[in-house]
Amino acid sequence: MTASHWESELRVHLVEAGIEAVEAVELARDAAAEAEAAGLHPDSMYGPAVAYAATLASTVRRASVTAAPLARELGAVVLRVSGVTKAYRRRQVLREVDLTLRAGEVAAIVGANGSGKSTLLNICAGLTRASSGSVERTSRIGYAPQHDGVSALLTPAEHFRLFGAVYGMSPKKSVALGTRLAAQLGWRPRKDVVASQLSGGTQQKLNVVLAELNRPDLILLDEPYQGFDQDSYLDFWDQVFRWRDGGAGVLVVTHMLHDLDRVDHVLELRPVEES
Amino acid sequence: MLLVVASTVLREISRRRVALLFILLLPLVFYLVRIDVHWQAIRFLAIGIGWAVATLSLFSHVGSRRMDERLSVVGAPPTALFFGRQLALVAVGLGVAAVYFGLVALTQSELPRLGGVALLLVTTVLIGVPLGALVSMVITRELEGALALLSVMALQLLVDPDGPMAKLLPLWSTRELSAYAIQEHGAGSLSSGLLHFVVTASICVAVAWIVSVVRLSPVRMLPPSQGGPVGADG
Repeated sequence: MTASHWESELRVHLVEAGIEAVEAVELARDAAAEAEAAGLHPDSMYGPAVAYAATLASTVRRASVTAAPLARELGAVVLRVSGVTKAYRRRQVLREVDLTLRAGEVAAIVGANGSGKSTLLNICAGLTRASSGSVERTSRIGYAPQHDGVSALLTPAEHFRLFGAVYGMSPKKSVALGTRLAAQLGWRPRKDVVASQLSGGTQQKLNVVLAELNRPDLILLDEPYQGFDQDSYLDFWDQVFRWRDGGAGVLVVTHMLHDLDRVDHVLELRPVEES
Repeated sequence: MLLVVASTVLREISRRRVALLFILLLPLVFYLVRIDVHWQAIRFLAIGIGWAVATLSLFSHVGSRRMDERLSVVGAPPTALFFGRQLALVAVGLGVAAVYFGLVALTQSELPRLGGVALLLVTTVLIGVPLGALVSMVITRELEGALALLSVMALQLLVDPDGPMAKLLPLWSTRELSAYAIQEHGAGSLSSGLLHFVVTASICVAVAWIVSVVRLSPVRMLPPSQGGPVGADG
């Protein structure tokens, strides 16, 4: 493979990873020029174009997050959970849970399997009724469930149009917005591929994009990064903090404890019998 | 919203090509198995269409439940989700009915009322679609629901249509309307068949719709009052 082939391949893969075409041309040209200046073939300096494109795209996206951080202002309360208890027959899942989340904050729900993380998120979403206690929340929410968040036989664009219709958007605007949000997660949706043909990680990216399509005040996410590779996982957290900086409240169920130093609140749930 | 849901469901169904092929073939098997007795063949054909359409409706409603929950949580009206899906399924069912109406028109030349056959097939579709939805609300798993529908349809084929319990079955009207379509002196069956159809279809639609709305409506929540403690305490 010649250096120019490598450069054009890098350009194509950067675009596929969600980088704007003009920026992709510049990045590919710079990479090729640096290799030439070092007297090396780009392939031996950077490795295969496809792998380098993924790393480069992720770095560019992350730089755009940190380059222009928005001033953080705590906003209005978007979610208040007070003394929530949930029991299924005699089995108690949640006991006296309290949480207050404001616009511009991220809260993580952590806990072992069976500690009621998803149950609490479903209660906040309005899918499950609490046995006692109260939940107050803003009406404009985005919600990404852990499973079955997308329809296997629809393309990403059809998902965007369906969810866009719920929010009163035109089909064209829904698809344009969905495509742009997907690019922030390093994914360029193809028109002719239905969700069942996407990888597990890409299905979850679609799941996440659908949760933010309406620019909600509160975003509820139930471990939506399953199947993500390392770069996508980092992109996802960058996206969470981008939402926060944009003024949304974010509540995310997670078991990845190493990201918790960046969140504003951590709600640790324990199986009720053990607590 | 209703039309967006309907068109989305039509796209989903159009991608299940093998399932669509069987939806189309099932009534043909019913028709051919009694082709030697033309009135039986038409009655069986109608029941075959009803069964095929009801099964499609059952699977479509069961399969969409999680996605409908997600959509309703973010603001989609449950009524639009239910009737949008029903509209798409009726469109598919009427397509199947049109194909078989054409087949009957081509192969049965001595029918006194060909329009009666169209009425028979259309009413069967209009019962089958909400019947499948109703079963999906009561039995929320695909296999169990399909077996329940199979039991109803088997009963429909085997039970004495003049017996007292026959009118409780959902497709009793097909027997009356097929008599109207096929028999020279069957005009009297029209009113009883239509009355049974209207009552059955109305019950199926109303019950399935109400259950669907109750299930999909998210728990109502007040907007948060501002102030109070900040943070989390599990």
